[in-house]
Amino acid sequence: MDIQDQIHDQLSRRNFLGQASAGLGTIALASLLNPVNLFAGTSSSDNPTVGKPHFPPKVKRVIYLFQSGAPSQLELFDYKPKLEAMWGQDLPASVRNGQRLTGMSAGQSRFPLAASKYKFAQYGPGRMWLSELLPHTARIASDLTFIRSLHTEAINHDPAITFFQTGSQQAGRPSFGSWVSYGLGSDNQNLPAFVVLLSKGRDGDQPLYAKLWSNGFLPSVHQGVVFRSGPDPVYYLNNPPGVDKSSRRRMLDYLGKLHQEQFKRVLDPEINSRMAQYEMAYRMQASVPETLDISKEPDYIFDLYGPESRKPGTFAANCLLARKLVEKDVKFVQLYHQGWDQHGNLPNDIKTQAKSVDQASAALVIDLKQRGLLDDTLVIWGGEFGRGAYSQGKLTRDNYGRDHHPRAFSVWMAGAGVKKGMVYGETDDFGYNVVNEPVHVHDFQATILHLLGVDHEKLTFKSQGRRYRLTDVHGKIVKPILA
Amino acid sequence: MIQLILAQASGAAPADWVLFFGHFHPLIVHLPIGFLLIAGLLELDRLTRRNSVSSHTITLILFWSAVSATMACIAGYMLSQGGGYEADTLDTHKWEGIGVAVFAWLAWAVKSENLGRIIPFAQLLYLPALGFSLALLLAAGHLGGNLTHGSDYLTQYMPSPLRTLAGVPPKAPVFKAEPITDVNQAMVYQQIVNPILQTRCVQCHNAQKSKGGLRMDTPDMLKKGYEDGPVFVAGKATASELIKVCLLPEDDDHHMPPKGKTQLKESQIALLTWWIDQGAPFNRKVSELTVNEAIRPVLASLTGGGPVDAGGAAVASRPDGPAPESPVLTMKVPAANPAVMEELKKAGLLVLPLSKEKNQLEVSAVNARNFNDAQAALLPKVSNQLVWLKLGDTNISDAALAQIAKLKNLQKLHLEQTKVTDAGLKQLKGLANLEYLNLYGTAVTDAGLADLVALKNLKTVYLWQTKVTEQGLTTLRKNRPDLDVISGINEQEVAAFNKASSAETKEEEPKKN
Repeated sequence: MDIQDQIHDQLSRRNFLGQASAGLGTIALASLLNPVNLFAGTSSSDNPTVGKPHFPPKVKRVIYLFQSGAPSQLELFDYKPKLEAMWGQDLPASVRNGQRLTGMSAGQSRFPLAASKYKFAQYGPGRMWLSELLPHTARIASDLTFIRSLHTEAINHDPAITFFQTGSQQAGRPSFGSWVSYGLGSDNQNLPAFVVLLSKGRDGDQPLYAKLWSNGFLPSVHQGVVFRSGPDPVYYLNNPPGVDKSSRRRMLDYLGKLHQEQFKRVLDPEINSRMAQYEMAYRMQASVPETLDISKEPDYIFDLYGPESRKPGTFAANCLLARKLVEKDVKFVQLYHQGWDQHGNLPNDIKTQAKSVDQASAALVIDLKQRGLLDDTLVIWGGEFGRGAYSQGKLTRDNYGRDHHPRAFSVWMAGAGVKKGMVYGETDDFGYNVVNEPVHVHDFQATILHLLGVDHEKLTFKSQGRRYRLTDVHGKIVKPILA
Repeated sequence: MIQLILAQASGAAPADWVLFFGHFHPLIVHLPIGFLLIAGLLELDRLTRRNSVSSHTITLILFWSAVSATMACIAGYMLSQGGGYEADTLDTHKWEGIGVAVFAWLAWAVKSENLGRIIPFAQLLYLPALGFSLALLLAAGHLGGNLTHGSDYLTQYMPSPLRTLAGVPPKAPVFKAEPITDVNQAMVYQQIVNPILQTRCVQCHNAQKSKGGLRMDTPDMLKKGYEDGPVFVAGKATASELIKVCLLPEDDDHHMPPKGKTQLKESQIALLTWWIDQGAPFNRKVSELTVNEAIRPVLASLTGGGPVDAGGAAVASRPDGPAPESPVLTMKVPAANPAVMEELKKAGLLVLPLSKEKNQLEVSAVNARNFNDAQAALLPKVSNQLVWLKLGDTNISDAALAQIAKLKNLQKLHLEQTKVTDAGLKQLKGLANLEYLNLYGTAVTDAGLADLVALKNLKTVYLWQTKVTEQGLTTLRKNRPDLDVISGINEQEVAAFNKASSAETKEEEPKKN
């Protein structure tokens, strides 16, 4: 089938039937009444609020240090001396209260309470409890805002992480960064508004999927772009051998004309998206190497982020890249760090894992602050859910495991718009249930959008007959934490 | 086709295009009205003078009356799928409308030459059919008007003598509330509560018409309550009948105001609730009552947005809410000249509106590293709008600061990694709204800091990698204890930070437990 036939096929089948379901007369009438908006229903012009904040933002940029696999709040943030006192005793049924458990521990005959092997101490003016596993994070305690009372709906990694990133447990919705890119546009036309950086602390942990940074039903320019450390940060960005800058430009100009022709025929907005992406990639050929150039960073900055920051692909190296990206006003930098899923051998594994993130996370906050970026950048650190109070598998003084726990977990933030040194929310003596100031994932998302100057109820996109939001039909802004 | 439409329309939510055609109903209905009246008038003319238009003409008009009446019925049915109409009136209107169409078809059939011959008693049927059609037309038209405009639309401005004749209740005197200028001084009952009651309740609860035995036109009558008891319990809004009936679902028989009448807004219910919770006083000012967080914005909206004091001694500050915004972000400024914005963009700058509703601008040189002193002369052209300016890592020097000094509304200023020096900082003294000043990586020294002390609203200054000494920082912190002076981390401090993991942060002296 030649291209002409394909175009005809497209026109007659998808576009014609899709757009013309009400009959030709309606189309004619619609185009008479409002020629501009005839095909507007499928593009962002559907929503006039898009591209600008609804009100002046406190936060211009977000760096989300996502800890994939679910870090145990009981070993890191949420100090529970009661677990020490009741070590080895069964989790009271009144506390578990019928909670659904995963298949990995539901069959256990006992649920012996496991206390943290690691000691806690209080830091900063807010006297917040932090574990000895996070000595560097303790140094920035006065800049941190803790939420100890997050809760989610999913009990397994994939739905939970999808829920956190897209507002829905089912795949297919746009991710947080895509919504931000769609709603606020870019503050630097030479770089994508939504950049993703990946790393892992140990092997064999939960996988990550590209759907987590997918644009879903939003135009594909809002998709997260994965950057890597090293000489070739973006796949397929560099010109192939033998193609120089000027021939690339000529190729793009002609390709642009072809795209224009095609767009006139089939009126598919994705063609515009594709053209925008080609042009963005061309600009990125210059801007990305310049932005990600770490050769001029002095040694003591590498030292600040820790020895791993010199090793491409590590969390520390990615933190440094994240700083470079927000220096260039990239709106949403999403890091994913794998390796927190400690069902067994938790005390050893979490120590290694915490070491892989502690220094670099704290260094990032310090570095952003001294450059004046923390004034309008928000750093978020947290996983998709928490871990339970009882031991999964055999409990000894030195070894135990923890299963998934969606009812209560901790997240910290540092930076613009939130109260420094504040601890919000409270869990019971077992760190099992929220007893005060619960924050649902949708509340959390609504709050971050609010800080970005976006009314989470107004940032919508119509798809398949109804309007969608990141927070769907939920979400309350957590006002007490706003600075 | 019609079956298809109806099948679709009977589904849960009507398709957009069902409502789209439905919205043509008010247009189409006027066609049968015109056609049928013309047919009736011509028929009258024929009956009285016998020398008027031919009967063919009337048949033609009747045919189109019937066609347009049928179309009006279909469009009307589609419109009704959108909901929101009073069910009983809608039902009557529907059947009357269908009646118009049926009798119009009948009148046409018996009048037409071909069909008229085969229909028995055609001549006898004709006039009654036309008559019924016309009568139903008037009735359906009236109800249609009521559905669209409200049942009191027609009689709203009816003069008193006519009202008596028509049996319409006398016109209520228009209630005029005393306007509120300062909401803190407003009388709660007289200026806030009573206006709501007067506009939404008193129509049925007054001296002439006291539904349920309740009058709400005076404080005394309100206190007296209705036939089953009091309507409010002072201090307990949730136990008060007055609030309960407003919160019932609109379909509930006890819901007030009754279905079809103008409903109370959420803010009005909130105000009534607050008033009753405060003990339902009849002679108190807003400032004498407790104003909580929930009611504050509602009260503020009464005057169009003035600030509302906490009231009494109850709520002193707002520890839970965010800090107030800088006035340069909240004030109204005219939109920037598009031509000037274009000039700025040509200079490589990004010009970003602060938000959808504000004309304030952020200007960023993130992609304009060659931005220079000469180009800085463009900036004062948007001095009203420009609040956030990012010139970090550009070619500007002290000369540019003479231009920046004219940006009176500037709140955030990025000058990091530029050639600015102490001499330039002297020019910034007039920036009364400046809160954020980034000077990291510049050649600024202790001498320059003296000029920063005068910037009264300055909250944060960034001095990492400058020539400022420890001594200079100490002096600045002493002179301006409210100022956040960020000096960053140096090589020695990084070394100490690196030891954190082994030394367990002895410097912080955490309280071990």
